[in-house]
Amino acid sequence: MAAASPCSDMFDEIVMAEERFHGEGYQEGYAEGSHVGVVEGRRYGSLHGAKIGSEIGSYLGFALTWQCLLQNCTDEKNSKKIRALDSLIGMIQKFPYEDPTYDKLQEDLEKIRGKFKQVCSVLNIQSDFRIGTERPSLTF
Amino acid sequence: MKEALELVCRVPAHPDSRCWFLAWSPGGGLLASCGGDRLVRLWGREGPGWSCRAVLGEGHQRTVRRVAWSPCGSYLASASFDATTCIWKKQEDGFECVTTLEGHENEVKSVAWAPSGTLLATCSRDKSVWVWEVDEEEEYECVSVLNSHTQDVKHVVWHPNQELLASASYDDTVKLYHEEEDDWVCCATLEGHESTVWSVAFDRSGERLASCSDDKTVRIWRRYKPGNEEGVACSGTDPTWKCVCNLSGYHSRTIYDVAWCHLTGALATACGDDAIRIFEESASSDPQQPTFSLAAHVPRAHSQDVNCVAWNPKEPGLLASCSDDGEIAFWKYQRPEVC
Repeated sequence: MAAASPCSDMFDEIVMAEERFHGEGYQEGYAEGSHVGVVEGRRYGSLHGAKIGSEIGSYLGFALTWQCLLQNCTDEKNSKKIRALDSLIGMIQKFPYEDPTYDKLQEDLEKIRGKFKQVCSVLNIQSDFRIGTERPSLTF
Repeated sequence: MKEALELVCRVPAHPDSRCWFLAWSPGGGLLASCGGDRLVRLWGREGPGWSCRAVLGEGHQRTVRRVAWSPCGSYLASASFDATTCIWKKQEDGFECVTTLEGHENEVKSVAWAPSGTLLATCSRDKSVWVWEVDEEEEYECVSVLNSHTQDVKHVVWHPNQELLASASYDDTVKLYHEEEDDWVCCATLEGHESTVWSVAFDRSGERLASCSDDKTVRIWRRYKPGNEEGVACSGTDPTWKCVCNLSGYHSRTIYDVAWCHLTGALATACGDDAIRIFEESASSDPQQPTFSLAAHVPRAHSQDVNCVAWNPKEPGLLASCSDDGEIAFWKYQRPEVC
């Protein structure tokens, strides 16, 4: 720099302006985009996470209620139902809610959904029953 | 020269409708067919031809997509697009619907009995495979709902002598399941087909599996147990199913069904190009890389898509096929000498 004349510096400034502004613009845009992306991701994550939580939670509530209702019925027919319920409850309790990066999350979720359907079939209940009034059916 | 595959007779089984699937009774004396007319029909031999012995109606509201006999021959299961599966029991004067299995969210695509007769599998467009257990009182109870496929499940079939279940799907894979610690789990995924897998069939030993697909190929898969001499890698204690043969270039459209004869070893295919083809394994071929050659080809076996081919379980060479044209055709197959 010291060797260059002030005159060449000035032209340099002009010649390089486009590149400099482009770079600055990119940095600003990137920062802004990252921020918006994080916000959007957070919103999506909490929405989606809440959906999964509400789905799993309703399965757990359903299973615990039935487990309670059947606890005094110990004949063979009911013991099968209770085994299926225990299995569903066990799967839900093992499901890692706190770790969204758990790599088998989707796979385990599908297994829980399958187990829930099996439980409904064993209990002879339609798995698309209505919960509350605000939601038309149990569709997640 | 005598044709390797000769037509015996044709029957307008489901007129003005599609005939979807055929199943021979375990004794080989009766053939069950099902169709878009919501009916199941049973066919028996009469003189040189075949005649309708029974019609099983009023079980289903929509198309009956598949039928399956129990190994004892006393029960028939029918899977329908109305989301249910009916169990029909043989009575003195025909068949009566004794149970309706509900649970699938939509169209049931296939049903199959396990060789023991105590387990039944169904699959559906809802992407799930259900395993049902039958107790002494003829009550059916769901023992597992398997959500391993990511798309429509087209077909389920049991291993000929083990409690191993195979399913084929629109997600281009075949999956295998077995029981593990009181629950059913997917123990293998066979990847290789480039489009929908429509059907799978085990050979007599159950060591090999044939799959057919919308990608116009038939693939043969062979089971390799952990520690096999050939050095095929296995994960844990589960065997690996490796594709050992790919029959491509023979079919010009989707292959809807494949049937592996347990008496002769001949492999028949039902294709969307209206043709039936039969393949024979070369006796001299390497078991690790078997070669199959085309032994018979009937280009216009039916006037529309051929949906199913079924080998009679007792009479070698007796093949039945059915089509979108609503007809059943009976064929006599003789292995060509040059083959």
